[in-house]
Order: sequence, then C-alpha cells, then structure tokens
Amino acid sequence: MNITRRSVIGGAAAGAAAAGLAPAPSARAAATAKTTLHAVMQGDLRSFDPIWTTANISAYYGAMVYDTLFSIDAKFQPQPEMVGKWNLSDDKKTYTFELRDGLMWQDGTPVTAADCVASIRRWGARNAGGQAVLARTKDLSAKDDKTIVLALKEPFGLVLTALATASTPNCFMMPKKDAETDPFQQITGRIGSGPFTFNQKLTRPGSRYVFDKWDKYVPRKEAPSGLAGGKVVHLDQVIWENIADEQTALAALGAGEIDFYELPPLDLLPQLRANPDVKLQVMNPTGNDGLMRLNCLHAPFNNVKARQAMLYLIDQKAILNASFGDPKFYHPGPSLFGYGTTMSNDANTAWFKQAPDLAKAKQLFHESGYKGEKVVVLDPTDFAFMNNSAQLIVGWLQKIGVNAELASMTWGEVVTRRASMKPDDQGGWDIFVTYSGGYDMSDPITQIALSANGKKGWFGWPENAQYEKLRNQWAEAATVAEQQAIARKMQAVAWDFVPMVMLGSWTQPAAMRKNVHGFISVPDVIPFWNVSKS
Amino acid sequence: MGVYIAGRLASTFVVMAIVGLIVFLLLHLAPGSPAAIIAGDNATPAQITAINHQLGLDRPLPVQFLVWAGQVLRGNFGTSIFSGEPVMRLILQRLPATLSLSLVTIAFAGTIAVIGGVLAAWRAGGVLDRILMGVAALGFSVPVFVVGYLLIYLFAITLHWLPVQGYMPLRRGFWPWFSHLILPALSLGLAYLALIARITRASVLEVLAEDYMRTARAKGATPASQLFHHALRNAGVPIATVIGIGVALLISGVVLTETVFNIPGVGRLTVDAITNRDYPIIQGIMVIFAGAYVVVNLLVDLSYSLIDPRIRR
Repeated sequence: MNITRRSVIGGAAAGAAAAGLAPAPSARAAATAKTTLHAVMQGDLRSFDPIWTTANISAYYGAMVYDTLFSIDAKFQPQPEMVGKWNLSDDKKTYTFELRDGLMWQDGTPVTAADCVASIRRWGARNAGGQAVLARTKDLSAKDDKTIVLALKEPFGLVLTALATASTPNCFMMPKKDAETDPFQQITGRIGSGPFTFNQKLTRPGSRYVFDKWDKYVPRKEAPSGLAGGKVVHLDQVIWENIADEQTALAALGAGEIDFYELPPLDLLPQLRANPDVKLQVMNPTGNDGLMRLNCLHAPFNNVKARQAMLYLIDQKAILNASFGDPKFYHPGPSLFGYGTTMSNDANTAWFKQAPDLAKAKQLFHESGYKGEKVVVLDPTDFAFMNNSAQLIVGWLQKIGVNAELASMTWGEVVTRRASMKPDDQGGWDIFVTYSGGYDMSDPITQIALSANGKKGWFGWPENAQYEKLRNQWAEAATVAEQQAIARKMQAVAWDFVPMVMLGSWTQPAAMRKNVHGFISVPDVIPFWNVSKS
Repeated sequence: MGVYIAGRLASTFVVMAIVGLIVFLLLHLAPGSPAAIIAGDNATPAQITAINHQLGLDRPLPVQFLVWAGQVLRGNFGTSIFSGEPVMRLILQRLPATLSLSLVTIAFAGTIAVIGGVLAAWRAGGVLDRILMGVAALGFSVPVFVVGYLLIYLFAITLHWLPVQGYMPLRRGFWPWFSHLILPALSLGLAYLALIARITRASVLEVLAEDYMRTARAKGATPASQLFHHALRNAGVPIATVIGIGVALLISGVVLTETVFNIPGVGRLTVDAITNRDYPIIQGIMVIFAGAYVVVNLLVDLSYSLIDPRIRR
C-alpha cells in the first residue's frame, strides 16, 4: 500500500464533497416567503400517531393532518366539524351522524363512515372520555357510506363533548387501514383529511417538519371559533423547526429566521417585549395547573391528616413565583378543577385563605401519628417547574420536622418510578409534582388525575367512594349547570380526603413576528389555519 | 502494512461488539423507560405495561440483546421507538451536517493552530508568543455555548452578516453551506485551536534546539523554510496525534454546538434519543461511533509514516 500526502488530501476532499452532496431539503429557500411560516414548537415531534401518544406536539400534528367529527368552539362547546347533520333519538340513547359532503382523504379516496367507526374505536381505547363513551355503547356501526350510528345502553350527556375534546388523545379520524392498528402500536400512515398534508420528503425527523396546504380540503362555511368552524388555510407551507436551545430560538425570531415561537421562557419576555418586530399572544387561555400527588398507599400519606397538612404547608404564590416570576402570568387558586375553568369553584376552601400555615401543618402531621418516616420527593431536574417546586416542598417539610429528602432524577425516571406502588425504601415514592392543561381540569372523566378509584386510578392512588359516586353523576349530568353543582359537591368532599394538592395555575404567551396574523387561541392545540403573513 | 491495516480493521468489529454490549446493558439497567414516556402523563400503569409488552421490553434482557445483536449483524440497526424510522436512515440523514461541521472546524482550527504554534515557538517568550498562548488559554477556558452566544449576538444579530442558526447542504451552494458553518466552527474550533497550538509550540520548540536546525540556519535556509520545512516536519508526529484526538473528541464536542446553532447533526440526534430513551437510536449511534474512533486512530497511525519516513522503514 502506497499512501502519499496527495492521496490523503484528495480522499479528504472527496469525503467532504460527499458529505455535502447528500439529499437535502429545499424548504428553507422559502424562508422569508409570505406564504411560508417557520415555527418553533414546544418540543420535537417524536411520534406521528396522535392516538398512540398523549404528547401535545403529536396532537398539534394531528390537528394539521387530520380532522375531527366534532370540535370545541371558543366557549368550549362541541360543534359539528366533519359531521353535516346529526340527531339524538327521543330516548337520548341513539346518535346518528351524517358526514358532510366533499370529505376526502389526502390520497384522493372519500372519507367513509366505516373509517370513522374504526377511528372512534381506536381512540376510545386510549382516551378516558372515549373509554367512558364506549363502556356505555351498545352498538357503533356504519349505516351506509356517510352515516354513523352510535347506540348507547343508557343516556350519556358527554358523547359530543368527548368526540370534540381538545385533550390528548383527540378523536382524529383516520383511514380504516390505519385506524384498525392496535391502539398500543403506532400507525405507519401519514394520510388524513385535515387542512394540511404532511410533506415527508422535506421533513427531517428531529430537525424539521414540513406541512403543505391541502388544496382539496373543503372548509366549513362558518367563521372559525376555537377549534370549530371553517378551517381556511392562507399559508402554502408551515415548517416546524426543532430548535432545542431557547436563546437560539429567541435570536432566530429576532433576526426574522422564524416567525413563531410557541413557548419562549418567561424570563426572556422582557427581551421579547423590547423588540418592536415581535408581539406576544397567549395561545392557551386556560393555561396549566400545577399538581402535587401524594402516595396514599404508604405512610405518612396513607393518613388523611398528613394529606390535609399538605394543604396548609403549600405557599402557591412562592411556588409560582419561583418558576414564572411575573404575576401577570400566574394565579394561585384553591379549586380542584383548576383556575378559571367552567368547573372551578370555592367549595370547602377555607384552608386556602389560611395557607401557608406551617404551625397548622405541623399540628396535622402530629395528629396523623407521624413517626419520622422518610418522605421521598421525586425531583425531575430537567423540568424547571417540577424541580423548583420539589425543592421548596422539601424545604417546608423539613422546617416542620418532617424527614423529607429530594430524589433527583430526570423526568423520564420520574414517570417510571411514580408507577411503583412499593414503599419508598423499595424504589417507591411519597410526593411528585406535575401539571395538567387547565382545559383538562374541567373534566373529571377525561382527566384521570381527578379520579379517586384507588389502584385502578392515577399515581398516588387516592380512594373515596363518595367522591367516585359524584364523579359518575357528573358524567351523567345533562347540563353544564348541573355539572357545576356536582363539581361543587365533589370539591367539598375532595378537600376533606385530599386526593392531591393544587399548586396554582399559569399561562405562557407565544411570541411571533408582528407581520403574522390570525392565530386562534384555544386550549391544547395550536391551529395554523386562519393564519397569514403580511 | 496490508496485514497491519487488516488486523486493525478487524479489531474495529471487536470494539464495536464490546461497546454494543456495554451500551445495551447501561441503557436497559438504568432507570427510566420509553414506555412511560410514550404513554404520556395521563397513562395508567396498565397502559404502560401494555406498551412495554408491545415494544418487547418485558422480555428477558439476554433475549432482547440477542434479538438486537442478530439484527445488527444483518446490517439492520432497528427502527426508532418513537418515529418508527430506520435508525440507519436517521443517522445517514444527520451525518452530512456533522461531517461538514467537523471538517470545517478541524480545517480552521488545525490551520490557524499549526501556523500560530510554529510562530509562537519561533518567537518564544516574545509578545507574539504571549498573545497566541493567551488566546489558547482563553480557548480552553471559555465554554462553547458562551462563545456561541457572543458570536451570534455580534455577527448575526448586530451586524447581520451571518445566519443565527440552521444548516444548508453543500448542494445548495458553497456560500450558503459555508455561511451556516462559520459561527459554529469558530465556537467549536476555539478549544481545538488551543489544544493543537500548544502542542505544536511545544514540539517545534524542542525541534528548534536540534543540531540539524543549526545546520539549516548555517546553510542559509530562510526562516520560513527553517520553520515549516525542517522544524514542523520533524515535530509533526505529536501534532498529528493531537489532531487525531481532536477529531475523535469532535464527535462529543458537536453535541453542544449543534444544539446552540440548531444544526441537525448526529449530536442532536444522540441527545434527543437519550432524553426519549430511544434505545435503538442510542445503541446504533454508539456502535457506529465506536467503529469511527478506531478508524480515526488507525488513520492517525498511518499518517505517521507520511510525516516521518523513518517510521515507514
């Protein structure tokens, strides 16, 4: 073998050329075009199956590519979307939905009732609201190509609300061959009937996701309202750029390289406000609610007094201030149903006016018979809100003499460990902090954190038969007013047995260039229809 | 030489196999599960168990390892748990950006560092030496992301000369490609520049004291000829070694740079995969990187014979 300098340099040059000559996207050519919008979303689009995962970003993808039978409007009321006509039988047990004209999958085939039946079944296996509907369903079938019949065993007032839900997984309609996929396996199809098509050729997973306007989409005639109404697309292309670094995303927005930044960190808002080319808009008006889950299976929180002590221990303002700084964007609140939702109320909230009251918390811990057991607080250091809150909670617990300790880990480890029902010395836990979308907190059926059915329920496993009876009554209520009355009773019971502790709510504005118009603020989804650039 | 190269290449596969086993064990024994991440925040334990079963993560570890190793031996690194894309396709999609960044960085850092190191040695103790070594010390001490943000602020936001972020393939034109790599390469290259410059200075200083350098001066060789023809060539072996180490270190160095400058390279892919516990991607990247390390070391060893004819003999 004869190696010379020239051959080495030649080889290196050839390698460099080969590296650059690999196939590449051409989407960036349109970076400044008025019909192309570059957006930085809340995270990477890891899965293209919005039923398989509950990740919000996958629901955003779903809202681009797929459509729903019903959608919530600006007042959170369900309105027909893919459905043209519908009716409910006099005995309130049989729904008949007729698909509107012109609905077509993006491969050119018509949307049929059979596609929708399969889609509802798959969604119903993964969504709590869907499970509630299917559990009461006697028959779900396609009467003909355009008509779906849903026959219930008993009247159930939440059918349309569930079908229209903005909570993940949303009830997106998919072609039958995709919808018949096991709900615990991902679909491979990328074909929907929504206002955008997914451009797989230009997409680079982990880096950039490209959506094109679908010219054959037929929007409803009504004006857009929430997720309902006419989904009229003004842009030719939407590109989601996955910029992981917040400072870089901010600089790119300032330089006009991107048009929309969904979740700029709140501590950078002063910089954004100072930029005359940038404006802010709260996209999710119901925001998020912080939740503290207590492990009700083991000491000390298997004793209700210890759980009640936590109500008095927590200083919501301090928790929110530690993570969100600007009081304009956070709201302390005592309601089990979050802040400002349709079900929020003030029943049995005297403790909130008194909290924080460390002496009272100490007294309640003492009354619980606390014997110095270790209290393990899971601390996901990769999520600022959870990390900050966990540290404050441990500090307060230690102040009142509780043997509390932080277990630092990643959020990925928290989601594994919180599933353990063992005591904390065998890999279990006592406290973890998380949050929920505010919109979800208004629905105790779809929001599993609002259940109290013991080991069948959510992490922490609180159990209370009276509360569960009320929760079932809520599901059967015919009107919102009736639901609100039951919600008050549920909360009155809840703050006695304390299934969890609320940590307050917050909203986070999106930042966008001033030439971007028409974003509709709705919970849990970012719609790109109705958006334009000037 | 042929037998030597074949032997070294064969050892690549052994290293890749050992790394594969270690990475597999580390990932599967560490806390955290992709099923819990996939299932989402509202999932019940039963749903997480069902997803674990679908992914085959509830099977005994030796079975999981043998299934994966069997796939790799057939050239199949599996598919991403999240996106469902083949791992090899994902890596190949990201490789051009990482290779471009690495090559530009090494070209920039290597050229400036070698020239700077030689000049610093030539004027050892003087102003030029102090300035060059001061810059080198700065390169070592300032983190990549600090340099990155400062460069973005100056050249992209204030002066509007260069883009803030992103990557443009070479087939879209040399300047679009190069302009997107200048700031990342400067940020990343500063540390390598410092490392290579200091080694070059030390090596050249040692050579300058040799008898043959006195002979070169005595026969009337110009300073440039003395430094770059006689001194640098004889000081080349340690410099090549450190450049080789630099290339290997770049694989980890690009992770931060790719994040700060939003370059869709293998580094970003690795970080995202680790965050998501996307086992097939992490395993695939680690095995391939292990092979790349061995090959880079082999190339460095081979370069010795180019630099120093005595080694060839």
